[in-house]
Amino acid sequence: MIAAITGLGWVTVAGMGRGHDRTDFAMTRGELPRISQKRVFDKPCPHFGRMDDLSRLGLAAIGFALKDARLAESGQKRDVGIIAASAYGCLKTDIDYFETVMPNGGLMASPALFSYTLPNCFLGEAAVYFGLTGASYVINEASPSGLASLHAALGSIAGGEIEKMICGICDLECPSEIPMRGNGPVGALFFVLEKVPESNRSPYGDLHLDRRGIVFFNGKEIKNLVELAQACLVPSPK
Amino acid sequence: MRPDPADVWIVHLATVTSLGRSLQELWERLLAGQTAIRPLSRFSTAHYKSDVAACIPDLVAPMGKSMMHDLLNRLIKEIEPVPSDAFLITATTKGGIDNLERIQRGGCADYSDILLSSIPETLCRRLGLRTPGVNISAACASSTIAVSRGAAMIASGMRDAVLICCADLVTEFVFSGFSSLGALSPVPCMPFDRRRTGMSLGEGAASLLLMSPHRARKENRPPLGKILGWGAANDAAHVTAPARDGSGLTKAILGAMRQAHLKAEQISAISAHGTGTVHNDAMELAAFHRVFGERRLPVFSVKGAIGHTLGAAGGIEAALGIKALSLQTAPPTVGFLEPEVGAEGRVRGEPVSISGDYLLSTNSGFGGINAAIILGKAAPK
Repeated sequence: MIAAITGLGWVTVAGMGRGHDRTDFAMTRGELPRISQKRVFDKPCPHFGRMDDLSRLGLAAIGFALKDARLAESGQKRDVGIIAASAYGCLKTDIDYFETVMPNGGLMASPALFSYTLPNCFLGEAAVYFGLTGASYVINEASPSGLASLHAALGSIAGGEIEKMICGICDLECPSEIPMRGNGPVGALFFVLEKVPESNRSPYGDLHLDRRGIVFFNGKEIKNLVELAQACLVPSPK
Repeated sequence: MRPDPADVWIVHLATVTSLGRSLQELWERLLAGQTAIRPLSRFSTAHYKSDVAACIPDLVAPMGKSMMHDLLNRLIKEIEPVPSDAFLITATTKGGIDNLERIQRGGCADYSDILLSSIPETLCRRLGLRTPGVNISAACASSTIAVSRGAAMIASGMRDAVLICCADLVTEFVFSGFSSLGALSPVPCMPFDRRRTGMSLGEGAASLLLMSPHRARKENRPPLGKILGWGAANDAAHVTAPARDGSGLTKAILGAMRQAHLKAEQISAISAHGTGTVHNDAMELAAFHRVFGERRLPVFSVKGAIGHTLGAAGGIEAALGIKALSLQTAPPTVGFLEPEVGAEGRVRGEPVSISGDYLLSTNSGFGGINAAIILGKAAPK
């Protein structure tokens, strides 16, 4: 065993929540729900209203996952890393930002929007709000499976770099200005992985990574993160 | 139990920068104190806070494609044959964002170039690699983290050959953004100089072929250098400004040294991020002081010569770090004249001899991310 899954949170077309509260998880394409700060955070998140859509989406799902693992309330900085897979990243914000550049030769370029034109910035927001001091970065891959983030997180734990990681996927719909056909799900889904679970709540199960790069959850091969979430939410036999 | 120190070999290095098409040319011009930062002609800078950057002079956008294709073509020419089973990790912050500019201005351009995943896709195809690669996006620490992840894959035994490629362009998108944040210097940047006022942007690309010692010996590829340790940490303080006390960078450096089983006194030189912004350079000096105390080991930044190449910076700097170690020479910090407090006796405007086997290379970026790697000499004393 490399790590246990101790938390699971999501914001999808079907709704938002965390694994210990509900089991009706689904991740499809369509319109995402409006995210209210009150529903996600126990204490105010000062910049939430000013964040771009990707940051609000990712921060909310990470918040649900941490709460699910009972790691959201410490109030102290802690060594937890975050890796997110994303196909489109902050493309919507890129478009919005460049709209401010085009008139008047860039005179009115928005610094507030530019700050969100790096795909990893929402991880920075999560790191600031939750006090997470581990490595944080985004992985872009052609496959919509999101498995690359899980591989990287397990690799960091197995290599002794860190003991707690958050990994998952986070994507908005491809902006209408860019006529590319997306094939992946829309929304955000994050898992909390711990080498040694901190809370006394039972983990969802154990993850293994073999030398071929195949991930196993409770002994069963996993092909994508949606499948992993569904496997976590299957009621355990009595 | 602490894991064994990593022993990952770098068997090939290549760079394409505004100071030349090869690593050797870059090294020679860097040592001569040259800078490629000069007035921009790629787009109008009339309303921006600076009009200088380090561009590759004849870079072109072929027929609706991003300039990134031209940059990658030049890099591919410098890359020796890569084993088809090598895993590819690329690093970029904005990839072919120049095509988004064209589309938004009503022009015709290839949409797919805008996605960051198009870079590993293009390189996998061009280099004949069997496994689809991934791109890492961690702002200006992207390629340092890519190198770290590649080294980790080799150290864990999951792969025995990993190719790292990193690239970023000077575009109006990025230039206008840093200008709007007040981060650009109106004159070529002056890293670690007390009169510094900001950064100068640059463009470039680099590749590093990493192998396990076993695989490299089997392929008869001697090491040019080694990757011995890595660390990364988030400041968890601010999304666009560094933590003043350098706490995140300190944590990243200590993690890298712990993994390499090295003590601070064994590090012979530091290739710093050294952007030339007031806060970044002060933060780095604070972190170096926390780790190395009063010790005056050589610290250098190459950004006064080739500009800040964003997601490519860490890869280019790792290649130069290996050169520095093998030739036992720290390159000059071009643009540096009057030391900032803490830079005295460490940063120099001319090349300086170094003595030792280990070099620390660091980068930090938006999102609060910091990354550090420890490079080792191919044949230690």
